[in-house]
Amino acid sequence: MQANAVEQVIAGLKAAGVTVVCYLPDSLLKELYPALDRDPDIRTIRVTNEGEGAAICGGIWLSGKKSALIMENSGLRAATEPLARMGMGAGIPVVMIMSYRGDLGENNWWAIPHGMTMEPLLNAMRIPYRIVDREDAIGRAIADAYAWSHTAYYHSAVVLAGSLVR
Amino acid sequence: MNRFECMQRLASRLEHELVILSLGASVDEWYNAAPHMRSASLFQQQLGCVTPQAFGVAVGLPHRRIVSLDTDGGMMFNLGILATLANEQPQNLLVVVWDNECYESIGGPPTHTAGRADIAAIARGAGIEHAYTVKTLDDFDRHCEDGLRARTPYVLVAKIDRSVPGDIKRKHSDGREDKYTFVRHVERTENIVIMGPSEHN
Repeated sequence: MQANAVEQVIAGLKAAGVTVVCYLPDSLLKELYPALDRDPDIRTIRVTNEGEGAAICGGIWLSGKKSALIMENSGLRAATEPLARMGMGAGIPVVMIMSYRGDLGENNWWAIPHGMTMEPLLNAMRIPYRIVDREDAIGRAIADAYAWSHTAYYHSAVVLAGSLVR
Repeated sequence: MNRFECMQRLASRLEHELVILSLGASVDEWYNAAPHMRSASLFQQQLGCVTPQAFGVAVGLPHRRIVSLDTDGGMMFNLGILATLANEQPQNLLVVVWDNECYESIGGPPTHTAGRADIAAIARGAGIEHAYTVKTLDDFDRHCEDGLRARTPYVLVAKIDRSVPGDIKRKHSDGREDKYTFVRHVERTENIVIMGPSEHN
C-alpha cells in the first residue's frame, strides 16, 4: 500500500471522528495496520475473524463512539452473518474499509473468489460502497461513508483498489 | 440451578450498568427478572454477536460496567472473542454464559457443552484468568459480586437446568425498537448524542 494512501486513510478516519479500529490484517493493506497501531489518537483492536470485528464495531457505535472495520474483502464473507443481523434486524451500522483482492490484475489464484464475491455480496446486502483507486478520493469516500451510515443506520464500505494497494 | 432465579440475583445487584443479551427464551426471562433494567438492556437475537457487542460498548464507555448475558450456543459460535478479551483486558466487562447444554429455543438439541466442551476452561486457555463454572445459586451470586467489581475480564459460566417459569410474559418489541430504547437510555445517562437529528439541507 502506498505511504500517501496510508496517510490519507488515517486522516480520513480522524476527520470522521473515528477513535477505534478493529482489524484482521491482510497483505494489501499491510502498511496501514502498524501505522494505525502507532497512532496515539486511534485505538486498534485485533480480532480473530471479521465477524467478531463487525460485532465489536456495532457495540462501539452503541456507546456513541465511531469505529471502522478494516480488512481484506474476503472478510466480508466472514462478517455477513453479524452484519445481516445487526444491520437488517436492528439498524446497528458498521463502516468497513477493505482491500480489493481479486480485482483485474490479480495474480494469486486463491484471491480470485474474493473479487468474484465482493460486489455481488455487497449488493445482496444492499450495502452502498465506493471503489477508490485514487489517493485524492480517499478522504471524501471515508467522510461520505460515515455520513451515510450514521444517517441510514446501516453499513457502508470503502474499497481500496488499483495502484493504491498493489 | 434455574436461570430465572440466577437472573433475579444478578438483577438485584444492577443499577447503573448496561446489559447486552441474547438469545431465545432468555430474552423474555431477563425482561421479567429485571424490570428496572429494561431500558438499560439491549435485547437482541444475534447469535455470536452478544459478547463482542458488549465488549464494544465496554471499549466506548470504559467508566461504565457492562454485562454480557450470552449463551452456550452463542459463545460456541464465536469462541475467538475470548482470545480478544484476554488480549484487550477490558476493566469493566462481566460475561455471563447461560449454559443449559442445548439449543433450548428450538426444542433442545444438544450443544457441544453437552459433550466434552468446557467454556470456562476454553476461556482460561484463551488467556482469561477469571473464568469459572458455577452450579449453585449461591456460587453464582458470589461470582456476580466479584465479577461486577473485577478490573479484568470475568467469565462466569452458569450451568442451568432447562426449566422455564410458566408465567413469563413475552416481550412485544422487536430488535429495532429495543435498539432505540437502549440508545436513548445511553444518551440520557451519558449526556451524549448517538442518533441525532437530520440536517436541513
